[in-house]
Amino acid sequence: MSDVIVRGRDFTAYRIGGAIAAALLFAALLWQTYEIFDGDAMTVPETSWTAVNDGEGSGENAVLADDILVARTRLLDERFKTGPSPEEPGFAAQAGQTLVEEPIDGYSKALPEAWMTGDAEMLRMLRPGQRTEGLSSLPYVNAALFERPEGRDWRLGMADFITHLGALVILGFAFLLALLLAIRGRVPIAEGRARTKVKRFGFLERATHWMTATSFIGLALTGIVIAYGETLILPFGGDLLGQAGWIATWGHAVCFPPFAFGILIMGIMWVGRNIPDRLDWIWLKNGGGLFSDEGPNPPAKKFNAGQKLIFWSAMLGGILMVGTGVMLMFPFFFLGLEAQAWVMLGHATVATFLIAIFIGHIYIGTVGMQGAIDAMWSGRVDRNWAKEHHELWLKDIEKEETAR
Amino acid sequence: MARLKFLCDADRCIECNACATVCKNEHEVPWGMVRRRVVTINDGETDERSVAVSCMHCTDAPCVAVCPTSTLYQTDLGIVLHDKDNCIGCGYCFYACPFGAPQFPEATLMGSRGKMDKCTYCAGGPEENGSEAEFKKYGRNRIAEGKLPICAEVCSTRALLAGDGDVVGEIYRERVIHRGYGSGAWGWKTAYYPDEKS
Ligand code: HEM
Repeated sequence: MSDVIVRGRDFTAYRIGGAIAAALLFAALLWQTYEIFDGDAMTVPETSWTAVNDGEGSGENAVLADDILVARTRLLDERFKTGPSPEEPGFAAQAGQTLVEEPIDGYSKALPEAWMTGDAEMLRMLRPGQRTEGLSSLPYVNAALFERPEGRDWRLGMADFITHLGALVILGFAFLLALLLAIRGRVPIAEGRARTKVKRFGFLERATHWMTATSFIGLALTGIVIAYGETLILPFGGDLLGQAGWIATWGHAVCFPPFAFGILIMGIMWVGRNIPDRLDWIWLKNGGGLFSDEGPNPPAKKFNAGQKLIFWSAMLGGILMVGTGVMLMFPFFFLGLEAQAWVMLGHATVATFLIAIFIGHIYIGTVGMQGAIDAMWSGRVDRNWAKEHHELWLKDIEKEETAR
Repeated sequence: MARLKFLCDADRCIECNACATVCKNEHEVPWGMVRRRVVTINDGETDERSVAVSCMHCTDAPCVAVCPTSTLYQTDLGIVLHDKDNCIGCGYCFYACPFGAPQFPEATLMGSRGKMDKCTYCAGGPEENGSEAEFKKYGRNRIAEGKLPICAEVCSTRALLAGDGDVVGEIYRERVIHRGYGSGAWGWKTAYYPDEKS
């Protein structure tokens, strides 16, 4: 290979940016790891009931709310024990007395933990928890279900496992990329720009790519609001989260058709050039020439093995996401409750991996590699870029050029 | 502090569906949704049982844990309430619920589910107690008046019990001892004692 004129490590500004991003992402990773172990997964009460009398302050009367409801409960005992039903309306609460809720500050597991421990007598009367379904005379979907303890497993999978794991995957991968940029710099056009261009992608290809890309990013961001809103948005207020949630729900639905359509067109346009072959193996063994300016740059046709992996992630991942998404958009049309629940978990799992993968793609298409963005932006790439990264493809192009 | 629960004595429930009906009426629950329903197990067999079910207001409630917009919340009486203003109809609470309690209005545009509705233990929602707005979104607030859920209070056989868990448990146990049989507290293990072995 000829002399290296441009070196990755000379992109100082990019490397500083990478270092800053790496530091921020590292902090986010630490924080996310702390979130896993901070033990606030249990549901605790957020409001407290007190009994208040007309016009009087509240607070001291907490015991009263309790007494009122316990007394009322006793009325449900056998009639021969409770006597006739109470005459005056509002028997339980006195006239002018109401029970109101007030927010509780702070997070304490004391109450639910006390609720969860029963004495021997209580435990003896429990019927074992098991899936129970029967019939119902009521004309509603799912009305025949009595109990499905698996709901609690789903909660573990969703709230405790996938959400945290997904955040680790996304942040961790972004962190590695930022670190790569800081240490290695950009992948340069080692011989410098040739200043002559080669056509790489036509208008249709670029339009399809950007339609798919914007809608994917829309889907990802709205999905992130839904999955991580409690962490990212709730600190700024519950109403804001509610509004963001609505925008996200609608945004998700709006971005879905162009994404599905884009995946389809992309597949038709590019599948022929993305069939894996022997060259890909050599390319992968050399790490794609990603880590050194001197090469060797493993030879590649129009798409190298890395790009083929991106293509197939977009295809398979896209089909999975669209398929599961459509099933979830029509509750009980395709699937019953159990299947919907697990399909939802699958949708979330695949989504986190796809987001991480496409962060990698966006990285290499923009800051990670000098000259790469031109391919999708103007559709024409620098001849030296083509020579270094898609040697065999350029040779084909040049053959055609001389033939003409 | 009281811990409010539901207990349906399956050996007494006669599947009259009064609880489901009175609930719909009391709260003017919209078309297509029920907050309480009666399920019959082993229909036509000698061990046939009917049991009324709604939101059980679980301890360590899974719906609250999975809700992405903090719509669901629990009170210190154990009641699980929801804030319709923030609900986005994602259905997560429905996937996590061990009792199929969350209900969604008829599928609207693009299959979006609309805002979730479920049993409030007759305790309304975050709006001002007894207000028109509260009634429209959540139904009557009986707890504010010191009354228990209407489904239990109307139950003709007193199969469905609502109120403080200790008192309800005591009533049930005495009843079982008195009559000499009982099929146990249905759903209690999953709803209230998820970590206890039984
Ligand atoms: C801001 C975001 C994005 C940028 C800057 C970007 C940039 C690029 C560039 C420069 C290429 C051409 C690479 C080449 O010369 O061969 C490309 C190709 C491609 N892009 Fe993107 N892209 C973005 C988002 C996406 C998204 C979200 C998807 C997936 C749905 C996607 C799917 C593809 C596919 C399948 C290819 C062809 C295979 C490949 O070259 O890897 N892109 N992208």
